Amino acid sequence: MSSAQIEIQLIASLVAIACAIPGTFLVLRKMAMISDAISHSILPGIVIGFFITQDLNSPLLIFLAALTGIITVVLVEYIQKTGLVKEDTAIGLVFPILFSIGVIMIAKNANDVHLDVDAVLLGELAFAPFDRMLVYGVDVGPKSLWIIGTILLITVALLIAFFKELKVSTFDAGLAASLGFSPAIIHYGLMAVSSVTTVGAFDAVGAILVVALMISPAATAYLLTNNLKRMLVYAVCFGVISAISGYWLAHFLDASIAGSITTMLGVFFLGVYLFAPNKGIIAVMYREKQQRIEVSLLTFLLHLKNHKEKSERHVNHLNEHINWQKVRSKTVLDLALKNNMIYIDKHIVSLTEKGEGFTSKAITYIITNKDAQIEDMKDDFFLFRG
Amino acid sequence: MDITEYIKLVFTDYTLRTITLGTAILGAVTGMLGSFAVLRKQSLLGDAISHAALPGIAIAFLITGAKDGNILLLGALVSGLIGTFWIRGIISKTHLKSDTALGLILSLFFGFGMLLITFIQKQPNANQAGLDKYLFGQAATLVERDVWMMALVTGICLFVLLLFWKEFKILLFDADYTKTLGFNTKFIDILITTFIVLAIVLGLQTVGVVLMSAMLLAPAAAARQWTNSLSVMVFLAAIFGAFSGVVGTAISASENNLSTGPVIVLVAGVFVIFSFIFSPSRGLLFKQIRFIRNRRDLQLQKTLSFMFHIAETHENIGHPHAIKILNNFQGFTKGSLQKLVQKNYVKIHGAMWSLTEEGFKTAANLYNQQTQKNE
Repeated sequence: MSSAQIEIQLIASLVAIACAIPGTFLVLRKMAMISDAISHSILPGIVIGFFITQDLNSPLLIFLAALTGIITVVLVEYIQKTGLVKEDTAIGLVFPILFSIGVIMIAKNANDVHLDVDAVLLGELAFAPFDRMLVYGVDVGPKSLWIIGTILLITVALLIAFFKELKVSTFDAGLAASLGFSPAIIHYGLMAVSSVTTVGAFDAVGAILVVALMISPAATAYLLTNNLKRMLVYAVCFGVISAISGYWLAHFLDASIAGSITTMLGVFFLGVYLFAPNKGIIAVMYREKQQRIEVSLLTFLLHLKNHKEKSERHVNHLNEHINWQKVRSKTVLDLALKNNMIYIDKHIVSLTEKGEGFTSKAITYIITNKDAQIEDMKDDFFLFRG
Repeated sequence: MDITEYIKLVFTDYTLRTITLGTAILGAVTGMLGSFAVLRKQSLLGDAISHAALPGIAIAFLITGAKDGNILLLGALVSGLIGTFWIRGIISKTHLKSDTALGLILSLFFGFGMLLITFIQKQPNANQAGLDKYLFGQAATLVERDVWMMALVTGICLFVLLLFWKEFKILLFDADYTKTLGFNTKFIDILITTFIVLAIVLGLQTVGVVLMSAMLLAPAAAARQWTNSLSVMVFLAAIFGAFSGVVGTAISASENNLSTGPVIVLVAGVFVIFSFIFSPSRGLLFKQIRFIRNRRDLQLQKTLSFMFHIAETHENIGHPHAIKILNNFQGFTKGSLQKLVQKNYVKIHGAMWSLTEEGFKTAANLYNQQTQKNE
């Protein structure tokens, strides 16, 4: 690995961490699309800043662009407050218009501005190590590394300082307000951090990847845990792993680094989306199937309890009466036998003592409208689940 | 260049005519379908879909190796649909919210698309130049065949829209009721979503991935302010969209270095701002005027009722009182007193006021009248 490669990976990892932290809160506060809006609408701020400073890395440019980000949020909220359109429409209107203004400003000054929309939107991490930071003539590393490092430091400091406030206001805004934390300050604080992070990162990884780095790690982590601290840690890990693996994917394919980091983020999300232990698609579908069979089982047992006559308790009667298919009735029957709920004597199904106990208890719960309790009861009675 | 000259040029110049027609048709169809997106609260879906279409374009190119616009659009359509249904899957199967799902699919698909495009650009294949025009769109690359394609799709859209008008409308406003009536809501839902995706994909070449969502939303949001009727809204949105297309093309054609997409979006944005402010029933301006007028009325009534309570205590209603005693009362201004005099509710003699017969009656019935009016 050359030093440039190490620097690129370092920058990408720092960006990933700096994005994952505000991203987690954006996802939890249902404001993920705001980050998309900010990432687009900072363009005019960047352009104006660039006109003034002629330097993509100057603090003034970052300040102006972050200000545009805040203006976007304020505009969206203002339009929403008028009640003329819904929030999502407000977001969808504001950022393309601001973005268009930025594009036109660049186009009108194309001759004297060395600024490319592609560069803003897509970034080029590969060039980041070439823009060095010089302190008294001494090379201390790439500029973007210093910028994103500073932003990360501030973000982490703010996170530690205001963790409690953020947590309370995210999960219970009313409680936070009654405890005396101003929701507005926390809201705009978070927006300011998101804007600054977006601006600090766009130069290295581009505006769209910033959105990916904010939302995907947080969403992936959210599928794995409900604990805020763990979610933050997971999100940071996913971000960093994707950043580094994405870099090597790009290296291997000779393609855009930003694109491959996003792709790796997508791969991780897809994996977790499918295989997450409790909330993954497969787990959810399996649970749905299990529930379906267990509901059938309960229906079946209740049917048995209601009927003393033999004709109603014949095995073949299951298919006709409850209108189940063969496979399904067999699954239900097997499950009931395995759990020792029933016994079959000459094709006549009867409840065992355990089955009697189970159904009586279930009926009491159903009558008293405590259906949810049946789930807990299943744990007590079932040796095998559906 | 003055306007008549420009109009003449639109009819004679091939490129300009094609672009103007193309953007007009595009604006009309996106405005039409955008109305549904806005009303279904799926405004940002357009943004997500347009980004999600990018890998489809790249993959279609990788497979066919040709730069045939229609095949690329087919790829865009497929990947846009995959993105849409994945978003639905995330929302319905996990506890992630819709905004997260949208942002996720948008950025992940776009990033993957960028990976593919940069990968293609490194390939030794001379044909790939211009794939990135789908990013920001280049209306100038429109040819007559594209316009025909757009017109065809618009025609189909219009036909389906008219055919299923009743179903779309009822699904839009009361999904549960639609289900109980026995309509196949899933089918209707997929149909309308597919057409929204189709409209977005059509516009990619002209205005690009990033700005496509505005094309979908802006005309519809503007049209929404002028009417409460769905049919009028769809019609208005189509007209606003077409106008933005034509005007945007004209502006960008008359100046150097102005790409068409952003100008069209800005023109549409002007429509939106104008509608937000000046629409008679919902607009901010008239709302504010109504608000001020109501407040004035209220102040007038408050003053009158205060006077009434003073006059009540005297046997003679017309007994004069000093104006001074009103001073500490909220809602009293010199103007409101003047107005009361004009309405002949109050008489003023120097520094004294007295209630007239008429004023007394009005004040006594102030709240009764209001309740009657409300009924």
